[in-house]
Amino acid sequence: MSVTPGPGWLNRAQPYAVTILLAGGAAALWLVGGTPYGLGAAALAVGSFAITRRLTGRVKLLDQRARDLEQELYRSRQLSKVDELSGGIAHEINNPLGIIAQEAEWIHHLLRSNSLKDIKETEECADSLREIVRQVDRCKEIVHKLLNLAREMQPVIQLVDITDLIENLTGLVERVSKPNKNITVVRQFDGNLPLVYTDPPLLRQVILNLLVNATQAIDKEGTVTVVTQGLGDSVEIRVEDTGCGIPPEQLKKLFTPFFSTKRQGEGTGLGLAICRGIIERLGGSISVTSDVGRCTAFTIDLPVGKGAG
Amino acid sequence: MEKFKVLIVDDEEDFVETIVKRLKDRGLDATGVFSGKEALGALDAEDFDIVILDVKMPGMDGIETLREIKKRKPLVEVIMLTGHGSVESGIQGLQLGAYNYVMKPIPLNDLLGQMEQAYERKLIEEERWRQNHGEKET
Repeated sequence: MSVTPGPGWLNRAQPYAVTILLAGGAAALWLVGGTPYGLGAAALAVGSFAITRRLTGRVKLLDQRARDLEQELYRSRQLSKVDELSGGIAHEINNPLGIIAQEAEWIHHLLRSNSLKDIKETEECADSLREIVRQVDRCKEIVHKLLNLAREMQPVIQLVDITDLIENLTGLVERVSKPNKNITVVRQFDGNLPLVYTDPPLLRQVILNLLVNATQAIDKEGTVTVVTQGLGDSVEIRVEDTGCGIPPEQLKKLFTPFFSTKRQGEGTGLGLAICRGIIERLGGSISVTSDVGRCTAFTIDLPVGKGAG
Repeated sequence: MEKFKVLIVDDEEDFVETIVKRLKDRGLDATGVFSGKEALGALDAEDFDIVILDVKMPGMDGIETLREIKKRKPLVEVIMLTGHGSVESGIQGLQLGAYNYVMKPIPLNDLLGQMEQAYERKLIEEERWRQNHGEKET
């Protein structure tokens, strides 16, 4: 680093090669020859220059820190709405990422082998790559669902015939029942159910989710019962199954994000948390009761009128 | 009945042509295409209100097409239609923003009812968008 010619009085000093080291706020100078006056002036100029540079640098750093903190605060305010997910996020995303890293390392190792013509290794590479792609897709789905959860989804309220809505979905699930399972769908619909102000697509997500869970809970044979009941200023929707039931320890955690009783790769456990979020946004509530080995029932309560959520 | 512009997307050409004809008979502005790619092209070219979208198509499938539609034209309402019925793609579709998920065959009147509800939602969302962006109603 060299000092560029500054104000006139500095030029009067002999132009010397000057090297400035900025270390710990102290400017160190090496001067080759020169008059005491020149030396003093040079030292002063360089000293001021050095200190200013250092201060500017520190101010810039602090400015950046402030901006980073501001960003963090903004993001944490947004994220506070999904605060409870942070632990789950780390766990859920780190797992597949860990596997990706492992597989990538393994491929790297294989590719460094002497005989690339070894067919067995090429196949292994292909397998690993496929696994990588699978896990990356998993990550994408998780992030996508997270973004949905975090995003402020304001319900779009329409006047809805709940019976119609539920019947469409029930019919769908009925027609798509797995061939190796014998599932009977029973409807107990309140004939006088009032029309309800709610968000149809959001409600459909929840009902379909519950129906699918119900059919999955049944091993070979069983019944899924769908019940609707008008309760004055609210309606009750219940989805029951005669499936395996849910043990009490799991029951408590059922609506927490990322909690899942499914095997790895089957869903990401966000389903019921999203369901509860939606129902609460619609001004209602959702609860579950279960008898291990006998049955499970999910109950939704929705207000009839506007001003929900 | 409200007049809205609807795009039918299905690789089954006979199905598309029949539906388009019957909707036109009812006085609706209906257009048919046979692939997800064509659908995106059509949406770029004209302003549609509703899209009826088949789930299982070769090339760009229904879910992928839905994702793209929601990215480019978030206010357009999509009703997913399926002849095969995969409930998982039903849930996925709804989570991605489809208005509804129905199985073929569906009586035309039922489909019309669905489209009207979807159109009503579109009008509400557009109004909200206008308000949020401070635009005055003309």
